Amino acid sequence: MRSLASLGACFTALLGASCAASQANITKPHSSAQILPSTFRPPQHFENVNLVRSINLEKGYVRETTNLVVQNIDTKPQTDYYLPFEDAIIAKIGGIEVRDKKDASKAPYEVSLVEFDPASPTQFYQIRLSPALAPKDQITLAITFSTLSSLSPLPTTVGQTDKHYLTYSFSAVFPSSYKTLKQKTKLKLPGADVPDYTVLSGAHSSENSEDPVKQGSTLTYGTFGEVPAGASEAVSVRYEFTKPVNFVSSLERDLEVSHWGGNLATEERYMYENRAAALKGHFNRVQWAASNYYNPATMALKTFSMPLRKGSSEPYFIDDIGNISTSNFRPAGREPLLELHPRYPVFGGWRFKFKVGWNADLAGALRKLEGDQYVLKIPFLEGPKQAEGISYEQVKVRIVLPEGATNVRFDTGTVPIVSSDITLHRTFMDTTGRTTLTLLAVNLVDELRGRDLVVTYDYPWVAGLRKPLTLLAGIFAVFTAAYLLSHVDVSIGRKET
Amino acid sequence: MPGKTEPINGSVKLGSKESSTAAMPASLKKPDLSSYFSLKSLKLKTKQQELLIRVSILCLVYVLAFITRLFSVLRYESMIHEFDPYFNYRTTLYLTRNGFYDFWNWFDSESWYPLGRIIGGTLYPGLMVTAAFIYWILRFLHFAVHIREVCVLTAPFFASNTTLVAYFFGKELWDSGAGLVAAALIAICPGYISRSVAGSYDNEGVAIFALLLTFYMFVKAVNTGSLAWSLASAFGYFYMVSAWGGYVFIINLIPLYVLVLLITGRYSMRLYVAYNCMYILGMLLAMQIRFVGFQHVQSGEHMAAMGVFFLMQVFYFLDWVKHLLSDTKLFEAFLRITVTTAVGVGAIALGVGTASGYISPWTGRFYSLLDPTYAKDNIPIIASVSEHQPTAWSSFMFDFHILLFLFPAGLYFCFKRLSDATIFIVLYGLTSMYFAGVMVRLILVATPAVCLISAIAVSATVKNLTLVARAKNKVAQTGSAKGSSSSKGSSKASLDQSQPFQRNVAIALLLGAFYLLSKYATHCTWVTSEAYSSPSIVLAARGAHGNRVIFDDYREAYFWLRQNTPQDAKVMSWWDYGYQITAMGNRTVIVDNNTWNNTHIATVGRAMSSYEDEAYEIMRSLDVDYVLVVFGGVTGYSSDDINKFLWMVRIGGGVFPVIKEPDYLVNGDYRVDKGAAPKMLNCLMYKLSYYRFGELTTEYGKPPGYDRARGVEIGNKDIKLEHLEEAFTTSNWIVRIYKVKPPDNRW
Repeated sequence: MRSLASLGACFTALLGASCAASQANITKPHSSAQILPSTFRPPQHFENVNLVRSINLEKGYVRETTNLVVQNIDTKPQTDYYLPFEDAIIAKIGGIEVRDKKDASKAPYEVSLVEFDPASPTQFYQIRLSPALAPKDQITLAITFSTLSSLSPLPTTVGQTDKHYLTYSFSAVFPSSYKTLKQKTKLKLPGADVPDYTVLSGAHSSENSEDPVKQGSTLTYGTFGEVPAGASEAVSVRYEFTKPVNFVSSLERDLEVSHWGGNLATEERYMYENRAAALKGHFNRVQWAASNYYNPATMALKTFSMPLRKGSSEPYFIDDIGNISTSNFRPAGREPLLELHPRYPVFGGWRFKFKVGWNADLAGALRKLEGDQYVLKIPFLEGPKQAEGISYEQVKVRIVLPEGATNVRFDTGTVPIVSSDITLHRTFMDTTGRTTLTLLAVNLVDELRGRDLVVTYDYPWVAGLRKPLTLLAGIFAVFTAAYLLSHVDVSIGRKET
Repeated sequence: MPGKTEPINGSVKLGSKESSTAAMPASLKKPDLSSYFSLKSLKLKTKQQELLIRVSILCLVYVLAFITRLFSVLRYESMIHEFDPYFNYRTTLYLTRNGFYDFWNWFDSESWYPLGRIIGGTLYPGLMVTAAFIYWILRFLHFAVHIREVCVLTAPFFASNTTLVAYFFGKELWDSGAGLVAAALIAICPGYISRSVAGSYDNEGVAIFALLLTFYMFVKAVNTGSLAWSLASAFGYFYMVSAWGGYVFIINLIPLYVLVLLITGRYSMRLYVAYNCMYILGMLLAMQIRFVGFQHVQSGEHMAAMGVFFLMQVFYFLDWVKHLLSDTKLFEAFLRITVTTAVGVGAIALGVGTASGYISPWTGRFYSLLDPTYAKDNIPIIASVSEHQPTAWSSFMFDFHILLFLFPAGLYFCFKRLSDATIFIVLYGLTSMYFAGVMVRLILVATPAVCLISAIAVSATVKNLTLVARAKNKVAQTGSAKGSSSSKGSSKASLDQSQPFQRNVAIALLLGAFYLLSKYATHCTWVTSEAYSSPSIVLAARGAHGNRVIFDDYREAYFWLRQNTPQDAKVMSWWDYGYQITAMGNRTVIVDNNTWNNTHIATVGRAMSSYEDEAYEIMRSLDVDYVLVVFGGVTGYSSDDINKFLWMVRIGGGVFPVIKEPDYLVNGDYRVDKGAAPKMLNCLMYKLSYYRFGELTTEYGKPPGYDRARGVEIGNKDIKLEHLEEAFTTSNWIVRIYKVKPPDNRW
């Protein structure tokens, strides 16, 4: 057995499938993070020859893609490229992915968070280039990551029908540990209404007299000339975003596999909040009802639309106090669609906690390999598909396998996870409990929706008989007890007949 | 093959005794062991068949009682209903999460702010403990159920159990046929279903079971004189005390029954054993419930039981003395002295007890039972509750249907065959019928008695009729000497002349009875599905095209409160919604449905009926953050706060004389339109209900601000709020929440 390592951020999970037979089904999260001294500065082995950075602000989070040409200026082949982040930002970075721009079919590079003196203002991600970059060689990297909770509404309170604006503050030059020769930063905004943005004096600007250049809904800073390592140029932009800023602080996702029922039951528990500007004054129902006739853009969340996989049925949408009657399910078509209307329009600063679940045919997700081995392929993240995007601070995926499943291995593909754990979960009529795989990921965005999670496990057919036998034994015990009890004489005195 | 032998066995068994004994010698003539055996096993088989039929009927009734109560789940969802069940659900949740001792010592600071409530000492824990116990058992057996599902299904489960008790009770009173009919009747009786549908998680759900069980075991104890049964009835009584305040009915009815038996000369050692054991042990056990405490020896409502207990001792002492003294004259003198002393001592004890305050006088609720007009004049808070109103005739018809006519018939049968047991059921039936007439909710208590007595009527009638009809059949079929010999034992003399006529009448009457009973079944099902299965949290209506429209506004508002207000926010509303706000909204309330502090409720009533700035002072003093009102003007929902408002005025005015009811009325009329009283148009409740309502057109062809619940255009359309602001209004305006502004900054 070989280890399947999850590539991506934070930590890598390594499978301990090769250890002793008794421990065969234990998956150990393996931390490859390095401990560095607080005085650490990335060695200047590299140089960014050219860099184009595009920041996408169309959704309720920041998605940044940087294409850069990196050259090894050292004399030896180098592997470790460091990506710096400010201390305040590093905890909000998620979904980091580094690929070779020239060869998209190649697996992404291994990226890990470098453990470091926590007091340091700068923290690093380490990109491990493999094969190592030879001296004078160049490579084009595509670095993609998203930043959560870094957009702030301004003004911080708006009226019910007002337009809503967000601001984003960032550095116009790419924060890099290395010298950058040439770069520019493009901003993709949701619309052309951009009332404020920082205009640079032109210190770095080499070509344009006006910096940035605004073209419709894009804003371009640069081109900048040579910038030393660690330089930054604080700018900020304020733009219209009259949409909800969807933020899920915690998503718990349970997938329960039932071989007997041929069913894959999914339940998701959301702690949702709208991070748009708080509602100014009060909620006016008259105005809300009146304005709904012509359906204007609003910062309030009215609907989640949730496409489910084919074959999904029996959905439910509930919260702590019962069924939410305002939902709609369209089972027809290739993609069943679940339309969820929260109990009330969720305005900025309001919260809504809910639970949604459905059943799906297991045959579409489970395949039997040779012997007793099964492979389960499911999306790591499903959830609503919103035009304005959703960000998830914490996602906990729990896969409940049938009782008696052993030798569990998994591969999250391109979704970075923080930790994994295999436990026993006891529920309906279990004797020993069901094998449960728990995966934890942080700072995900809905762009990762639908990425595959593959779980393989062994499930001997004898284990499948455990439940009916338990039931049988239980019923038999009841009858035996009833029989024995009916023969017990509890009378105190002799009965006269 | 066995199918063929059955009818023969049945006719042998169901025929008169003579036929079987006549058949016996014929078989005994042959000293064949095998034929003797086969006959014996055949005889056993009929008994088994009878048992099989009885058990399967009981099983079906058991299942029926359960599933007929699931209409609410099918129509709506698995949810807790109405008001009080939400408190019960919340406490059960607390019990399962924190364990029994924490529950027992729970001081709830989320209700009755700022007073709080000692939950353990002010509730009947029976229901919660029962549900938690079921929950724990299911959890132990690895059934991963949610506690809410257990709570929702507790009442139907106990209703099913009640049918079993009704069967045994009926069997004890009359015969097993009556028992079966009683079980079937009570399984679907609307009077009981109204309080035990799935989701109606209230004390009554388990209490009716406990009540009937206690009565059954007590009657059994009286019939057998068995210490074990009276012990069992004491435990049944304990369970009842732990579950519902209605135990007072038991502790008064049983002494009354004992008294009646003593007066009618039916006293026996069996009665002595049954009552003494049950009373002493039941009393001691009941004292363990903190909410009841020492009431059994201190409260006026329980004195009858104690009086009868002492009377019984005196009675049996006299009986013993009479037994010892052969001289009647001497005994009479002794009797006079003893009775005088006993009565004197009793009267003095009662007088001294009452005067010194050791024995508390009767409570208002008890008074209002004996005198239906008492509450209306003296305690508006009791009178304001709709379920405390005197019962209308229609609701008797609605809840009992044909049982209302069968009840007197059953009484007739009971009097015809008077025994200790039937005396009990007659007493139970008559007293509970009286109480059912006084208060709507007590129909529930009368239901088991009515079902049992009606069952006796049905069973006895049907049995007599079938006997007549079958005897006829037999003669018509055989017509031989054997046939006449078989009918010899029954009423043969009367059969001779009027045979064809009587048989036809009997069959017709049987068909009539069948028709009536099937009518009863359809009525019960209809009532259950249409009237008693609404959770009243979710309202359903028919839309313009016959489609079902759901108003889920209550939960919308409560969930909004739960999610979007500070954790420690205090919500003021009329007391009806208190339990729901704490359970579903998870926020602190000022008053709730446990109306233990009249002054506090009156303060809220006063705030609601004052002008805004006066109300603001009151709300500031109570630390109120949000005010919640229920308003039905948009949807035409009539049980809203404006319609309850006069009770707020009355209750508020009962404590604070500043509030005067006539200020809100115009010539004795309650109006909200232009002609309304000026105080009415400007009081807080009016302002909060109708704020911004003037801008809304509710119905086509009507002016804006047309109140659909009351059918008028409101009188004050330009409402300005000074100290409050609208925080949230639900989609159909049923619940409106306002935020109390902090005081203005002062220099």
